[in-house]
Amino acid sequence: MLKRLSALLVVLALVAAACGDDDAATTTTVAGTQATTTTAAATTTGGGGDGGQAGEGILAQVQDRGVLRCGVSGAATAFSEQQPDGSMTGFDADYCRAVAAAVLGDANAVEFTALTAAERFTAVQTGAVDVLIRNTTWTQSRDTDVGMDFGPTTYYDGQQVMGRTSAGFTGQSTLQDLEGAVVCTNAGTTTEKNITEATAALGVNITLNTFEDFNQVMDQYLAGACDAVTTDGSGLVGRKATQQPEGEEWVIFPPSPISKEPLGPTYLQNDSQWADVVNWVVFATIIFDENGVTSANAADMQANPPTGEIDRLLGGEGNLQGAMGLADEAFFNVVSQVGNYDEIYARNLNPVGLFREGSLNASFVDGGLIYAPPAR
Amino acid sequence: MSVRVDRPQQQPQRVPPWRNVTFLKWAAQLVTLVGVVGLGYILVTQAQENLAARNIDVSFDFLSDPPGIQLAEGISTNPDTVARALFVGIVNMLRVTVAGIVAATILGVLLGVARLSSNWIVSKVATVYIETIRNIPLLVQIIFWGAVVTIGLPDIGFDTGPFGCTEEVDGCTGWLFASNRGVSMAWLFPADGFWQWFSLMLIGIYVSVRVYRWRIRLKEETGAETYSLTWGTLTVVVFAVVGLWIHPIMGFFGPIFGALASLFDGLPRIVVQLVLAAAALGGAAWWIKRFLDSRRTPAGLAKLTDDDIFRIGSTAVAGLVGVFIVFTFTSISSFILDAGRDFFEVAESKFDFLEAGAVFDFNKASLAKPGNFVNYGPTGLTMSKLFFPVFVGVTLYTAAFIAEVVRGGILAISKGQTEAGLALGLTRFQLLRFIILPQAFRIILPPMGNQYLNLAKNTSLGIAVAYPEVVAVGQTLYNQTGATIPVVTLWMLFYVSVSLFISAIVNFFNNRMKLVER
Repeated sequence: MLKRLSALLVVLALVAAACGDDDAATTTTVAGTQATTTTAAATTTGGGGDGGQAGEGILAQVQDRGVLRCGVSGAATAFSEQQPDGSMTGFDADYCRAVAAAVLGDANAVEFTALTAAERFTAVQTGAVDVLIRNTTWTQSRDTDVGMDFGPTTYYDGQQVMGRTSAGFTGQSTLQDLEGAVVCTNAGTTTEKNITEATAALGVNITLNTFEDFNQVMDQYLAGACDAVTTDGSGLVGRKATQQPEGEEWVIFPPSPISKEPLGPTYLQNDSQWADVVNWVVFATIIFDENGVTSANAADMQANPPTGEIDRLLGGEGNLQGAMGLADEAFFNVVSQVGNYDEIYARNLNPVGLFREGSLNASFVDGGLIYAPPAR
Repeated sequence: MSVRVDRPQQQPQRVPPWRNVTFLKWAAQLVTLVGVVGLGYILVTQAQENLAARNIDVSFDFLSDPPGIQLAEGISTNPDTVARALFVGIVNMLRVTVAGIVAATILGVLLGVARLSSNWIVSKVATVYIETIRNIPLLVQIIFWGAVVTIGLPDIGFDTGPFGCTEEVDGCTGWLFASNRGVSMAWLFPADGFWQWFSLMLIGIYVSVRVYRWRIRLKEETGAETYSLTWGTLTVVVFAVVGLWIHPIMGFFGPIFGALASLFDGLPRIVVQLVLAAAALGGAAWWIKRFLDSRRTPAGLAKLTDDDIFRIGSTAVAGLVGVFIVFTFTSISSFILDAGRDFFEVAESKFDFLEAGAVFDFNKASLAKPGNFVNYGPTGLTMSKLFFPVFVGVTLYTAAFIAEVVRGGILAISKGQTEAGLALGLTRFQLLRFIILPQAFRIILPPMGNQYLNLAKNTSLGIAVAYPEVVAVGQTLYNQTGATIPVVTLWMLFYVSVSLFISAIVNFFNNRMKLVER
């Protein structure tokens, strides 16, 4: 016994020594291995790995490769869903196609990679994907600490709660109505923290059960073992559309979400050229929507542009796309092959009951937040 | 007549170091030591470097941060620090482990004996149970029991049964409720006077053992029947019954615990550090002394081999490392002070009753509607829908293995023992009590300990049904804080401590039980 104890003590001492002079050790190692560290950093920031030559940006890599590698969820209803035939559909998937149309001229030159929440940032850091469009919330720590850069928000989401009308919930219910309820959600997410903070601030007592994935949460809810479930509003709408049994009425509340979840494209930080390309693909779809340019009338609009801005975006005067390293026709390809913002939204999100009218995702002219800087 | 031959005294030849056994042995030891320490150093620094390059935090500072999460059940569902959240997870794990060990032992022993029963039905039922349960993975069973609760049982409401409320109103009570929120039942709880009564009972058990031995001695001396077992049992019963009225006499423990609490409160940290350091050095010195004693022969101390010296040296170093740890990580000493104070404060409050009160509270289960939703009330023993599958799963599973261990132990006693006992004219009961069980128990104990260890470790599968034990809580916490490596380190330390603790208990009984060899 004592022998075992002394062995344990030695191990502890090693650990202690390792933790104890943390600062000193780090300083020395940094000094000693500066060369290796810098090389690693250069590889990561410069090329995104995968044999990319030093200094070659992601745009050039994608153009050389001839295919865009896009990270998506694959299991987010209406945002990116893997179909039985292997194809990927959804709002996020269409934005992958829009980027491919702009960069490569072909909306189908996309290689989709389904990523879990835990894998997604590593996949960007190692260059396994060129851009991540996976209902990813833009947060301060992800933007700074995790080493990501975020593009313009394509969907303004927010956390909400879903309950049964038979339990007395209505669309106008508030968090106070959850007093005494068993609420279920996924473990280890911002969702879990948000509901904890929000109910604590209001002094509402709930029992929070957290499960590994959201399918388990829905199983519990369907069995009546949870009084309510909570996650991003778009997710709840999707689940309600597909899983609500007959004879039961589910409602989503509170009307103003309890958190801000701006979702948009994400890419490796410090590659401005690639960032510009992704950002302006999104802006172009928004500007086309504002001006009524659709996939149907794109060719007519290119022939007879109503305004200078549309002319410039569709590849007329100015050579603005050429300055970004794209073909002049780049954004014409986007709108003709994929569509404008409204078309992408309506195609994917209307079927599950998410509409732009009156939401944050309406155009700024209708009181929403979807707004793009001018193309000049 | 012997001729004394003077041999020329051999000059100690200078042996070159590469042929000197002593030198080679020590060199080998030192090279191994340097190799091991060096390898450890390289691994640790490499890990630190890589982790730093990836911005991965390995410090334990996050333990005092607010966790930002709440837990489904436990001693506090809104912990204020990460450390507290982990502690709640630890308590939940221990709760299911202790309950599971008790239940699995009882069920397992019954099943093991049943499988050997001469009653055909009983033995076949036990056989089918054991062969079914132990051949299905535990994870599947836990998920199955989880589904039984959430899908198989009805929605909770004031009409929940099967032995539910008579009046269906808020706060109504019943004997047993089973719903998709778990199971709640009537139960006997320790009341205010319980601990005073319990300490009296400890004295009672001690006295009863003395009485029992005294009666046995009397029987051996006089040969007359002395009813030793009856006497012993009666002593305990007398203490238990009389204790119901006189337990306040144990109240004098209250002020003692109070004094200890204030002692821990006022003690400067340096005192604890000195005590711990002295314990480390004293322990090492004690071990060295015992070791030297074992090498002592009637002719004096035997020559120590190099290996012996190396062992003594390592023990001394371990003692010094202990001192170093005590003075480097001051939080260990602070924790001991805080924990000691808290423990004795709680203990004081348990011995604070000067009038004889109830020793036990019998509470029926209840249903309550604190907000807009019906749930189980605080009275009654409630197994939540999260606790229930884990508890039932590990209990049924481990019981199947314990049954086989018991059966094996009993079958291992040779038939000759039974026949010899019967030939002596022992009754079946006497045969079991004095011949079979004492020998079978010795065989059963070590594998039984393994089953307890398995049960403790298997509770980590509770994550599959979202039971908030230490692994599930830890995983959520490192998802939230990014502190994966510290959390995993804490898990490992915790499980190692629990396992060593269980095996220490089993080894203690095993040592008492084993054949004394001379």
